[in-house]
Amino acid sequence: MAAAAESQPVVLTESPAARIVRYLARTPVYLILAFIGVLWLMPTIGLFFTSLIDPSVIGREGWWEILSKPSQATFENYRAIFDNEQITSSIWTTLWISLGGTIIPILVASLAGYAFAWLEFPGRDWLFLVVVGLLVVPIQMALIPIFSLYNDLGLFDTILGLVLFHTAFGLPFAIFLLRNFFIGIPRDLLEAARIDGASELRIFARLILPLGLPAIASLAIFQFLWVWNDLLVALTFARDTQPITVAIFSQLRQFSANIELIAPAAFVSLAIPLVVFFAFQRYFVQGLLAGSVK
Amino acid sequence: MRHRSVVAALVALLAFAAAGCGGGGGGNEGAKGNENVSGNVSVMAIWAGKEQTSFQAVIDGFEEKYPNVSVKYTSGGDNLAPLLSTAVEGGNPPTLAAIGQPGLMADFAKKGAIKPIDNLRDKIVDAFGEAVADAGSVDGTQYAVMYKGANKSTIWYNVSTFEEAGVEPPKTWDELNKDRDTLLAAGITPYSVGVDVGWPITDLFENVYIRTAGPEKYDQLAKHEIPWTDPSVKDALKIMQDVVGKSEYMAGGTDAALQTEMPASVGKVFTDNPDASMAVLGDFAPGVTKTTLEPETGYNVFTFPSIEGSGPSVVGGGDLFVKFKDSPAADAFLEYLTTVEAAEIWAKRGGFSSPHKDLDVSVYPDEITRTVAGSLADAAKENSFRFDLSDLQPSAFGGTPGQGLFKLFSDFVAKPNDIDRITQQMEAAAAKAFK
Amino acid sequence: MTVDVQTAEAPSAGPPPVAEKESLWQRYGVAAAFLGPALIFLAVWIVYPTIRTIIRSFYDRDGNSFVGLDNYEKLFTDDTLFTAIRNNFLWILVVPALVTAIGLVFAVLLERVRFSTAFKVAVFMPMAISLFAAGVIWRLMYEKDPDQGTVNAGVGVVKDAISPSGVLSNARPSTDALQGGPKGGLELKTAIRPGEVARLGLTAIRESDVPEDAEQAVVPEALSGGIAGVVWRDFKPGGGTPGKLEQGELGLPGVTVELRNDAGKAIAETKTEPNGTFAFEDVEPGTYRAAIGSDTFRTPYAGVSWLGAGLILPSIMIAYIWVWAGFAMVVIAAGLAAIPRDLLEAARTDGANELQVFRRITIPLLAPVLTVVFITMLIYVLKVFDIVIAIAPGSVQDDANVIALAMWRTSFGGVNDFGLGAAIAVFLFLLVIPILGINIRRFRREV
Repeated sequence: MAAAAESQPVVLTESPAARIVRYLARTPVYLILAFIGVLWLMPTIGLFFTSLIDPSVIGREGWWEILSKPSQATFENYRAIFDNEQITSSIWTTLWISLGGTIIPILVASLAGYAFAWLEFPGRDWLFLVVVGLLVVPIQMALIPIFSLYNDLGLFDTILGLVLFHTAFGLPFAIFLLRNFFIGIPRDLLEAARIDGASELRIFARLILPLGLPAIASLAIFQFLWVWNDLLVALTFARDTQPITVAIFSQLRQFSANIELIAPAAFVSLAIPLVVFFAFQRYFVQGLLAGSVK
Repeated sequence: MRHRSVVAALVALLAFAAAGCGGGGGGNEGAKGNENVSGNVSVMAIWAGKEQTSFQAVIDGFEEKYPNVSVKYTSGGDNLAPLLSTAVEGGNPPTLAAIGQPGLMADFAKKGAIKPIDNLRDKIVDAFGEAVADAGSVDGTQYAVMYKGANKSTIWYNVSTFEEAGVEPPKTWDELNKDRDTLLAAGITPYSVGVDVGWPITDLFENVYIRTAGPEKYDQLAKHEIPWTDPSVKDALKIMQDVVGKSEYMAGGTDAALQTEMPASVGKVFTDNPDASMAVLGDFAPGVTKTTLEPETGYNVFTFPSIEGSGPSVVGGGDLFVKFKDSPAADAFLEYLTTVEAAEIWAKRGGFSSPHKDLDVSVYPDEITRTVAGSLADAAKENSFRFDLSDLQPSAFGGTPGQGLFKLFSDFVAKPNDIDRITQQMEAAAAKAFK
Repeated sequence: MTVDVQTAEAPSAGPPPVAEKESLWQRYGVAAAFLGPALIFLAVWIVYPTIRTIIRSFYDRDGNSFVGLDNYEKLFTDDTLFTAIRNNFLWILVVPALVTAIGLVFAVLLERVRFSTAFKVAVFMPMAISLFAAGVIWRLMYEKDPDQGTVNAGVGVVKDAISPSGVLSNARPSTDALQGGPKGGLELKTAIRPGEVARLGLTAIRESDVPEDAEQAVVPEALSGGIAGVVWRDFKPGGGTPGKLEQGELGLPGVTVELRNDAGKAIAETKTEPNGTFAFEDVEPGTYRAAIGSDTFRTPYAGVSWLGAGLILPSIMIAYIWVWAGFAMVVIAAGLAAIPRDLLEAARTDGANELQVFRRITIPLLAPVLTVVFITMLIYVLKVFDIVIAIAPGSVQDDANVIALAMWRTSFGGVNDFGLGAAIAVFLFLLVIPILGINIRRFRREV
């Protein structure tokens, strides 16, 4: 209809020369991006090659040496990790903790974000400021009081305890992001829905959530990552229920370089977050809002 | 009449119970009566990887003797001290833990977090001697069993560098300096220094100080009965300049030394393409790096040389087992740690020095360990063993990265000529900590 | 309905029209339903510990005696903490703005490009690896030794291309007879005349660094009417006698020897033979000095000290930006994705060029999202901890100190003074509030 017609590119009168110029103008962008991309990846590539180096050689020479001696590459470090039962069994635990610690905050924060964006009640903006202000509280501040609390409640060393802690600390940022995002939704949509008599809950579920998908997707990625890679919280509140970070950490010998453990561990641990990233990033699709107005 | 018989019965009952407890608890050598002790014990320490496997073997040996006790070990790795502190604050510490700093032990004792074990003192003295027993006590009350010891009075070297330069392991400090100069002339950097957070340099200081000032002054300094501005301290720092005073003495120069961690500094020596010849570090050095060099042929060790005719002495450390929660099972485990069997299990596997007087050094797997561990046990016997001084200080002064002794000795390496200013700062920090 | 350009400037956050039958109670009720779960979580896990920590900060390290403001006094008098506070301010000034800007640039560039996923993954990877591993990577990269640290290896390649190493990188005179240094070359102290023999003995040369073709050094015969000499490695195992050319000591071939006149100017040059000997023939009578030219000794590149006290702050900041730019980019990209395409097309057909579209439409619509990124970075930077602890070597932890690290060390790192640690935490909290206030107000005007 009208929207479809508008999105047709208008190139009918472009001359071949102009088209070539347009492509040329794009190439530097590609080049620059490619260059930056490679540079950005270098440290990670370096770490990957380091994970392939024999432990007795690590730290003696730069990782790039291995490019000239490919036969010296070894998967020994990775084997050591997979042989370690403490580490492999921790992967499931990590998954549960991360899923819980991602889904719950998203639900809770979406509700709160909508309330701060589009519900009207006195004191709303001040309350919002306070919530955002809580972003400041460093986790260290909560460790000891919550430790005692968990002891009394029997939540110590449980997956639930960890999930709830991560949820709480993920909320300030999540609410901040979602509220600021929801605010960008055109008022007319909400007006129309309210005039039609829809309840707030319905508006929330049918309108806000779908429109807010890009933000929710990016939030999911970060929250998942944050919980998956967390070390401090799990270290404090769990003893036997270990996520992978703790499992690896407890193998770190106090007086050892430990690179032969950290490097492969980083990549083993990387696999699942990357999957999450790929799964969610396709929601960053342009024009999600276009056309839905009608 | 009736009362008396009831009382008598009660007394008899109590006596019975006491005898039963005493019999099943810590009182027996040998395997008898050990089924009476039961319960769960949780243990935490820094040991992970290979060391964890070794300690697990020790636990297995204990569980064989006490089949109704189950011991669970968790590694705290690098983070043990903060973990324990948090656990203590939160009210949920493990039953036992092995910590490396007497200062931390004293903190816990003052807070009432750990329980005294005076009933084990005799056994500890029998097994390890007075000096080692004292290392585990605070103000006269016994709190810890020092099961694993560390000899920090050693210097490691790369054999091929010594051969290339034509030098021999020195017995005196003057010989060491001469060796250093010869190595320099041969184009070989003499020392690999890793300042890390500062503690390797405190170890160097302690080894020098106990030899230049003597064990009595060492004890006085440890208790802050003499100030850090005492001339004896300044003399020791001047001697230290023979190692860290010139950039060319250290691999990579002063800059690199300041940025290198201890394991990396060992790696520079324990390789077939060494950056430097010697590493002034304790007996843990081979255990912190993976090397293709063989002991004795590739790398070797000599004891810290005497300075101006000083007698043999060992500055060392140890892992102190403390008890957070009382139980007969915990006591049984602690007592087990004082036995020769417990020491032997780990000794055979290597990477372990026991201060046990009765341990036969032939059970150690190689000559190097025998030398090092043997000299530790000897010093324990002679009472010329002293615990690492910085570990004896209040942790704010002697055991915290970024401040106190760690930081000031690191500053010393950065500016080795600033002896007066640095000793003043040390004294100021000590005064604050000992208030 | 067409959406005209003006309303795209700033969607207002004003109240939506309220149907008359809704009462205040109903409004609060609905709000409570939506906000309830969040508020409960926040109250229990964040507010309650905060209050307990604030109270704890007024007690001493064991928590038993009330000491009032003592801990706070310590905050301002302690040197370590002062450095930490100063460092945090530097962080605040530099990092949040840079991260947001870089993220914006990337997000915008990516919009117009296909295969953007590959780039997004590359920039995003640091966050996926975990902050701990990221810190470890940069620690490795910043190693001073160019053989190990990636950054210095790169710099070293450039430097070596400009000024390559000489034949002898380290060397030093074996006796006082030679004076000087790598800059001016090494010169024999005593002047020599034709018919005499010069001996230049060097040490501090590694056996493996001696050129392959070197042979046993020999003292040459005196040359009548010329000056002969030998440059050799004056060392044999055990040291030998410095200054005396002994069996087993090798000559140094390929060394440039200069003959200098009294004024110090080099009038002749020659290179040494495999046995270290050299000769200047047909020399005019007079006094001369023999010297080893300075270009023989170019010391190999030692590397920039990224982890030294001077550069440690920028080094850590770079690593931090490397990690968080991905975050900014992803969030801003989400914001960009939500901008209705119709608005931009409408503006373009109305005749606006790209820059105008960007400034007048995109940025204002992005403002809320940009705010989130910037303020979040501001706050995270105030709390920065993991990356400092992972990168800074022990010796510079003081120079690189930040408030969160100071708090950690105080509470857990050995001092175990939970009262002081709590005070530091409260201070951190108080610091943020004005910063937050100023920024929120500024962006609220545009929201």
